[in-house]
Amino acid sequence: MKAAPFDYVRASSVEMAVDALRDGAVALAGGQSLIPLLNARARRPAVVVDVSRLPLAGVEQVGSTLVLGAMTRLRAAETSPVVRRAVPLLAEALTHVGHVSVRNRGTVGGSVAHADPAAELPAVLLALDAVFSVRGRGGTREVDARDFFRGPHRTALAADELLTGIRVPLPPATARCGIAELSRRPHDLAITAVFTSVVLTGRVVTDVRIAVAGAAPVPLRAHAAEHVLRGEVFGPDVLAAAAEAAADATDPIDDVHAPAAYRRDMTAVLTRRALRQAVPA
Amino acid sequence: MGGGLIGARVSRAEDVRLLTGRAVFIDDVRPPGLLEAAILRSPHPHARIVRIDTAAAVAHPGVLAVVTGADVRALVHRPQPLIWRISPAGRETVAYPLAVDKVLYTGHGVAAVAAVDRATAEDALELIDVEYAPLPAVTTVEQALAPDAPRLHEDWPDNVAGRTVVAKGDVEEAFAQADVVLRETFRFARQLGAPLETRGVVATWDPFTSHLDVWLNTQGPHLARELFAEVLGLAVDKVRVRVPDIGGGFGSKAGFYGDQVVAAVLSRASGRPVKYVEDRRESFVATVHAREQRIDVEVAARADGTITGLRGTVHGVLGANFSTVGLSPCWTTAAVMAGPYAIPAVEVNVVGVVTNKPPYGSYRGYGLPKANFVHEHMVEALARHLGVDPHDVRRRNFVTDFPHQSPVFVYDSGRYAECLDLCRDAVRRAGWADRVAGARAGGAHVGIGYAFHNEVSAFAPSRIVNMSGLDHSGFDEAAVRIDSTGHVSVHTGQTSMGQGIHTALAQVAAHVLDVPLDHVTVISGDTDSAPYTGYGTAASRAAAVGGAAVLNAATRLRAKVLRIAAHVFEAAPDDLVIDEGVVSVKGVPGRSVTFADIGDAAYRRPHGVLPEDEAPTLHEREVYDPVNVATAFGCTAVLASVDVETGVVDLLGYLIAHDCGTVINPMIVDGQLQGGAAQAIGGALYERLAYGAAGEALTLSFAEYLLPTATVVPPFGVDHMETPADHIPGGFKGAGEAGVIGGGAAIAHAVEDALAEFGVRITSLPITPPDLLAAIRAGSDR
Ligand SMILES: Cc1cc2nc3c(=O)[nH]c(=O)nc-3n(C[C@H](O)[C@H](O)[C@H](O)COP(=O)(O)OP(=O)(O)OC[C@H]3O[C@@H](n4cnc5c(N)ncnc54)[C@H](O)[C@@H]3O)c2cc1C
Repeated sequence: MKAAPFDYVRASSVEMAVDALRDGAVALAGGQSLIPLLNARARRPAVVVDVSRLPLAGVEQVGSTLVLGAMTRLRAAETSPVVRRAVPLLAEALTHVGHVSVRNRGTVGGSVAHADPAAELPAVLLALDAVFSVRGRGGTREVDARDFFRGPHRTALAADELLTGIRVPLPPATARCGIAELSRRPHDLAITAVFTSVVLTGRVVTDVRIAVAGAAPVPLRAHAAEHVLRGEVFGPDVLAAAAEAAADATDPIDDVHAPAAYRRDMTAVLTRRALRQAVPA
Repeated sequence: MGGGLIGARVSRAEDVRLLTGRAVFIDDVRPPGLLEAAILRSPHPHARIVRIDTAAAVAHPGVLAVVTGADVRALVHRPQPLIWRISPAGRETVAYPLAVDKVLYTGHGVAAVAAVDRATAEDALELIDVEYAPLPAVTTVEQALAPDAPRLHEDWPDNVAGRTVVAKGDVEEAFAQADVVLRETFRFARQLGAPLETRGVVATWDPFTSHLDVWLNTQGPHLARELFAEVLGLAVDKVRVRVPDIGGGFGSKAGFYGDQVVAAVLSRASGRPVKYVEDRRESFVATVHAREQRIDVEVAARADGTITGLRGTVHGVLGANFSTVGLSPCWTTAAVMAGPYAIPAVEVNVVGVVTNKPPYGSYRGYGLPKANFVHEHMVEALARHLGVDPHDVRRRNFVTDFPHQSPVFVYDSGRYAECLDLCRDAVRRAGWADRVAGARAGGAHVGIGYAFHNEVSAFAPSRIVNMSGLDHSGFDEAAVRIDSTGHVSVHTGQTSMGQGIHTALAQVAAHVLDVPLDHVTVISGDTDSAPYTGYGTAASRAAAVGGAAVLNAATRLRAKVLRIAAHVFEAAPDDLVIDEGVVSVKGVPGRSVTFADIGDAAYRRPHGVLPEDEAPTLHEREVYDPVNVATAFGCTAVLASVDVETGVVDLLGYLIAHDCGTVINPMIVDGQLQGGAAQAIGGALYERLAYGAAGEALTLSFAEYLLPTATVVPPFGVDHMETPADHIPGGFKGAGEAGVIGGGAAIAHAVEDALAEFGVRITSLPITPPDLLAAIRAGSDR
């Protein structure tokens, strides 16, 4: 398992990186997904552009938005007091991404760009209506999370574009979050995972976000399930209906770990559990 | 004697080196001029090789040798060796180190390259052009046995590699007279040993002297040397096998692999040392697989719970070609299917079936975990059928009179009922019943499961192993020396692979000689100098058979030390005592001579000290061939919870009561039991080598093949009892495989207990969440 030959460029500026990302080049961030693919010769880029040292790491709150640099390590984002306070759902979701050693190297930008359908970060950013900042040779553009994920490991990024940052609108302080993830062993990539954020006024659901990882070629936003809940009194019946609606939205795969039908069924179970975690009985 | 070190919980001498990164593993062996090899592997499960063109690879810069399967075949003297013929009339696969004419499984080696480094070798593999004509593949026993199944070996009439039967008593009569007959079918998935360090070899062919010098991370250096010599047509003295530190073996490194021969051939072709280390991806197709069987059984019993008969068929779902040990793991399942129970009539057929998968070989536990699963399941089923406590059924059927002739092996000794009580007592002490009651009251599904096992260890008398069709002996040679400073070296053919054998053998020698433990060094791993081991480090035999050899050699050496000291003191040897390497006359503490004094006399200044009739040097050698195997035994209890909405199983507790005769070092035995239990957990809940509908391999990394990680392995509790093996000096029995044997059944029973309300029965492993959820739903629909 040795990579096929490639040229290596270490980018010292975003401009240089974007310039180098042409003709079969690929960006290297934390390398947690790319290096194994290179070594298995599943990817054979002519050039590897190392973007890991670009000054794109950091977390800050700007007004009512959380801004994450693409090169922020997953572990730095997870343990950031700003993230914990402002967007607890995100901090909590990050604890599920692989092992600490993987999170120490892996970057938030890499996880989003890698776009694994079962990954936590894309799904939770979808739930949070995040916006991605993308830099190409023509300049910068912004892409909404709902338009970003196009298929397994496919995104709106063009081959010569770099993801530079992520902006997350802060949820209301009253939002409660719940995560239910099913994986074969703790810290494995999820078979299926559900991320929820719920705002109640009294017992009535005034805002709810539900995103599902590992149940479709892309992370799913369970709009129908959200619709079932919105404006309703939070309780077992609407919960069950929402769980079914979320399951109905799935389009899962069969693999060695689970058949599609199981992922579908688990979407219902996990949706109910995530919502219950957000709002205990 | 009685240095107190046999039985002492001392920390392992190996660990400081291993933990501080000072070990030398196969990949650290880098002789000057080293080349690295890579192997081109078939992407098809079954295909004819129409054409291979290696010209571009040969021309690639940095490449020094390229060989195809046909090239290697032309250079070897015989096909890959089969050392264990279970079914003398059965067919044998004829396989060469690389595929010739046909590939028979995904990953089957087709050609190999030696180049200046591994990356260049892999680049060159891509330049080899192979034209394949794909053929239909079979991966299940049902597919392989279908009347119109594609045949793997075209000169065979079908895909059956061999049949044999294990029989004892009158089975027809037992079933005719039975009050109860129960039947079941079991399926066990394909799994493999997966040591942390993969397999590797560094081969150097000397073109001037025709010597082959091999570094190999093998569990059986002497066997490897014999087989290298056979395959390459060399005299044994022309082959040297050296063993570096080994990062785990688990049986995976016991066999003789084609890639070892490929490395030797590439060295010969290039004139340079050649290293081949399988990478992790390759290890899933290049290292032997194990466990996969379908077993159909019937049990006959009387209404009082006495089991009177056992019959059935073990279908071994073999790979396309035999591994070094052929059908023997599946035969072993049949041979020990009666387990610890005195079942008077047994008839178990063994059918080996070839499929388009890699060879089936040894993995910790050999055939035993499957046999254990079967007899423990049937005991529980019988108890349920009769409405009695399964422990009563166990107790009623336990072997109590020893020696006991089981269908194949003679069990030497055991106290099964006491061991069962020891385990149940541990469960009581751990308060599991309250935990179950509490959890159930809270709506959770928690249960307790048990499995009792016995294990044929200390494998084995040469006579018995030869009779069982094994072309190799089972004795062990050891040498113990004292040097001129009075320090001791123990020379063994056993291999250190992380299990602590050096510490265990040092304890035996230090105990017998009454010297401090740190005065003993154990030396192993070079066939040019090491004593011979008949079989290697496998089959739970190193401590028992190797330990007995060391014990006998050390005992004789002690006698010589005492004779010399007696001469010095002008006393009788029987009047002397040894304490911490100091010899003195009983009751006369003032006068003493040290081992250093005696060593000095034996090597450097004999004059006046060494008796006239005593030869210089302090060196004794022993060849120990046990008269019988030794049967260790144990009982496993598991506390598990099941999430009935997801089918996920969580293990909450794991207790083992175990008896391996005299324990040399309880800490090492605990570690062996725990490591084995972790593998049992992997086998019961996680590990499965999966194949797609067209026969393609689906598990090629640790993302698909799930090993038990620290997060899924619960804390263990171990209780020891000791029933020494009377026939083995020291009384040792084996412990290396014990942990893996009973775990699967105990976990399955805990899951069944947790799901009692759904009537779920576990008859296949691993238990995966989707399968278990389906069983729970089927149960709630009933
Ligand atoms: C043992 C293990 C367990 C894991 N478990 C999980 C898990 O549970 N959940 C999970 O979600 N992931 C898991 N992963 C995957 C991993 O965490 C992420 O995919 C990874 O961290 C991605 O970030 P990276 O910085 O390492 O990206 P890299 O590996 O460097 O790159 C990944 C891909 O993204 C592209 N890329 C990276 N950065 C950019 C950028 N700024 N702009 C454009 N393209 C870019 C690369 O070109 C490449 O195609 C696991 C990985 C391992 C090794």
